[in-house]
Amino acid sequence: MEADTTVKKKIWAFGTKEVVYAAIGAALYAVLTWAFNVWQIPGAGNVGIRPAIVIPMFFGIAFGPIVGFITGFVGNILADMLSGYGFWIWWDLGNGLIGLIPGMFSALIYRYNETKSILLGEASVVLGSAVGMAVASLSELWVSGADMKTVIFANFIPAFLTNIVWGLVLLPILMIAYAAILKRSGR
Amino acid sequence: MDHIDPRARFIFSFALLFSATATWNPNILFVIFLIAIIWYSMGRLTWKETKVGWFMISILLFTMIVVNTIITGGGAGGVVPPGGQLVWPNGFELFGKHFTFGLTVERLWFAVSQLMRILSISLAFIMIPYTMDSRAYGATFSKLGLPDGLAYTMELSFRFIPTLARNFQVTLDAQRARGFELDGRKGNILHKIRRIAPLLIPVTMNAIVSSEDIANAMDLRGFGQSKRTWLHELIFHWWDWVLIVFSVIMLATVLVLAFRFNMRLFSVPQWWYGLFSK
Repeated sequence: MEADTTVKKKIWAFGTKEVVYAAIGAALYAVLTWAFNVWQIPGAGNVGIRPAIVIPMFFGIAFGPIVGFITGFVGNILADMLSGYGFWIWWDLGNGLIGLIPGMFSALIYRYNETKSILLGEASVVLGSAVGMAVASLSELWVSGADMKTVIFANFIPAFLTNIVWGLVLLPILMIAYAAILKRSGR
Repeated sequence: MDHIDPRARFIFSFALLFSATATWNPNILFVIFLIAIIWYSMGRLTWKETKVGWFMISILLFTMIVVNTIITGGGAGGVVPPGGQLVWPNGFELFGKHFTFGLTVERLWFAVSQLMRILSISLAFIMIPYTMDSRAYGATFSKLGLPDGLAYTMELSFRFIPTLARNFQVTLDAQRARGFELDGRKGNILHKIRRIAPLLIPVTMNAIVSSEDIANAMDLRGFGQSKRTWLHELIFHWWDWVLIVFSVIMLATVLVLAFRFNMRLFSVPQWWYGLFSK
């Protein structure tokens, strides 16, 4: 069954399905982050941080910006709670934006396994990570009094790079798998 | 701490966050730091419970304060004016060698101020997950003015965690039985990242498929048709009001002192200079 590209997607809708998708997304992000926190991957130390970051990106692409935002925002709060890291509102907000921006691209994506859709998804990963991590990192200017150089090199670049490495590789795989699920279920 | 309403606790924590970040004045920061210590001690948390969180905070503090402020000086660039009095104007001897180090008295005081500010915020927020009933999050955010849908999302996500954690473990065991190796050493970084896919895809897709059934069940029960009620009821007591009034007064006082009386900027107390003068 082919997706109907003539029907405009209501990306800002937040009904019952979106409530459940957002809750599932947040819980999934938290569980996977927690699981990979305690289970480091040998030999990939520099990129062995948060493969689960792809979850808010994917939920944004699949279910819209609000679901993407909540998945990242609430998921990061829960992940930090599970890991015992406390509550860091600006980094939670940054993670929310990592899901929200791909969600804005979801209006342009109908068939998840097309090259065009995957390229849009990849672009959203880069843009979302850049904006999300910029907001979170810039908060350190205000919170800790760090200067711009420190914020860029100690906060922004490491977080941005690891996020896009995971996102660029894993998002297309999830999009193709989701396309297969949609086809199988006739949606 | 259990007797304090979660809404009052969130209001206090955010008031403390905004107060601590509104100023670099050492006296104000010290008072906020003392308030944060008293607040944290009310939680009666043990070291065993919170050590993971404090380990993370200590890494953060080490990077920000020791590396960025004390060693490189970069972290102080935005607040501390250039120049100042050197801690070791003639350098110092270590292991028979002479070293010169451009650490200034002002930068060292800035490190102390940073420590007070970040620790105050950490003390207020690290205790939330350890001292708050997870069933109260939905009701708390709903009563704080968040739409029911969003508040219920938070509540629901807490409930899904055990289910998804179990699904993750079952999937991991099933894939391992098929010879899946997450921590295999072969291949480049791209291969290592892609190796996660056999674990990530089934867990994610199963979660999405099952969420359809949950959404249908909620629709059948009329979710979102009227204002939601919460099983976990929150009631304000007099002490909650006292805490809220205290939070408002604390924030208002800091803002007035910082912006009306110009106590916002970084300054070094005279006694601190005295410690380094010969």
